Amino acid sequence: MTNPINDPYFIDFHQRIKNIQAQMQKENIDVYLGSRLRTISWTTDAFFPWRSYIVIPPEGLPTAFTFVIDAARAADDSWLGEDHVYGFAPMGGQDQIEQISDFIKDILPTGKGRVGIESGMSNYLPEGWLTHYEYQQFDAALSDCELVNAHTIIDKLALIKDTGTINRFKEASRIVDIGHQAVFDAIKNGGYKGMTETEIAGIAALAMRRAGSEWEWSFTGGNEIASGYRTGYAGGACTPASRREIQAGEPLMVDIHSTFKLGLGDHAHNYLIGPATDRQRWHADNFVSIVKKTLETYRAGITPSLLAEQMMDFSEQGGFADYMVPGYEHGIGLLGDEWRIGLNDGPFPFWTNPDHVYQENEVLICAMQYACPDENIGFRYENPIVLYNDHCEEMSKYPLAIEEIT
Amino acid sequence: MTENFKYLSPQWRDEAERRLKSELPPERMNFVTSSMSNIYKNCPDGSEKFLYFKFEDGKFAEMLIGKGESPKPEFAVTGDYETFAKITRGELNAQKALMTMKLKLKGNMVKALRLASLSDRLNKVLATIPTDY
Repeated sequence: MTNPINDPYFIDFHQRIKNIQAQMQKENIDVYLGSRLRTISWTTDAFFPWRSYIVIPPEGLPTAFTFVIDAARAADDSWLGEDHVYGFAPMGGQDQIEQISDFIKDILPTGKGRVGIESGMSNYLPEGWLTHYEYQQFDAALSDCELVNAHTIIDKLALIKDTGTINRFKEASRIVDIGHQAVFDAIKNGGYKGMTETEIAGIAALAMRRAGSEWEWSFTGGNEIASGYRTGYAGGACTPASRREIQAGEPLMVDIHSTFKLGLGDHAHNYLIGPATDRQRWHADNFVSIVKKTLETYRAGITPSLLAEQMMDFSEQGGFADYMVPGYEHGIGLLGDEWRIGLNDGPFPFWTNPDHVYQENEVLICAMQYACPDENIGFRYENPIVLYNDHCEEMSKYPLAIEEIT
Repeated sequence: MTENFKYLSPQWRDEAERRLKSELPPERMNFVTSSMSNIYKNCPDGSEKFLYFKFEDGKFAEMLIGKGESPKPEFAVTGDYETFAKITRGELNAQKALMTMKLKLKGNMVKALRLASLSDRLNKVLATIPTDY
């Protein structure tokens, strides 16, 4: 770990682990066995793309476990170092169940105790909940232990973002803006002609990588590009770039993603490829107006449902409510934390609680979708925002507009 | 005719130490500092034995044979006496023994991967000792 004085991206992982251990003690958890990607990112400060786990003892440093072929790299990237990143493999004593359960037994003086696990469900595929099979195997291997669901320990502690995390998101957003500028420079003045969605995704990726982005992290297809009718899918929240060629007279949606030290850039910008009709311009102006209104409204103290109500009223007054998808955000955190807002305390388990009251220094993606499938047009806005008591700050600074490209 | 040593006997241990010191100088052991224990289950006399090695900066530092609990090593390899005997006789590959769960490794696998070739060198030296199992 670096020095907090010199490093704007510093996160105090030692304190983070101590906070988890304090909460474990309160909840009578002897060992925490994390398996979600969000938990592993949040505790190790490294990217663990394979099935991985983290074992947090009651005191001292945690140990991460991952597929042996990637363990040395992960250890090198993590603040934990090689003594606290183990690799598992199909060898006697080294498969993930036996290795981890032996490790846990060594932590527990009597071999007995309560082991916190992560069990639940998510819309987000790479979430990493403990599977039924894994649960059964750990339960058998740790027969003197009680496995208890404890993911809320991490969820509560990870809710409010520290300065280092916010700065990582800001840097990732700065990089995303470079990607957007590169796309604009490439498509303007007829540059779009003959270009495909995949090519635009690549232009953005190259520019962002040159600026230091580690990858286009989104599981929805990396850089999501949609043109023409593909911008207007009902719901419209996932458009991996296709081989479709960009055409004059169509909308173009550019939703690109960068990664900086597990902080995530995620900004969608929209264009009309000229000549645009008055009707297309009307749709575009509607969308820009509601995005502006939404960003003016976001702050600590409001709730997702309150914000949605106000925005639907706004769109009703503007005569475009039929085209608004009634959702305005999704959760975000260090890599792997990309779905629900807040805690698992809403009416539908593991979905955002519509009455979650936002707090200062929560970070979320302001995510809005405008979809008119009948007219083959739609727009998307995404931008990480940090909430303060009287306003929100947009991390991507790329100017909000829907430009007509000639 | 060369006299054979009884596997894991004090005489076998002394011969092993002599050969390891002479045939595995620190540079052959990559100046490694580590320790390893073989845990022998189901020995011919029904007991459980251990064979503990320690290297410091590549120098042979310690080799212990005993019954019961081994000094805490960085890596512990557990298996039947007969499995270890087959490996030492060259009848079974150690890696295959691990992959078929005839042997069980405890310790950091990432570090173990780096030491696999050293362990192989060590086993090859031990295999040269004329031994009765």
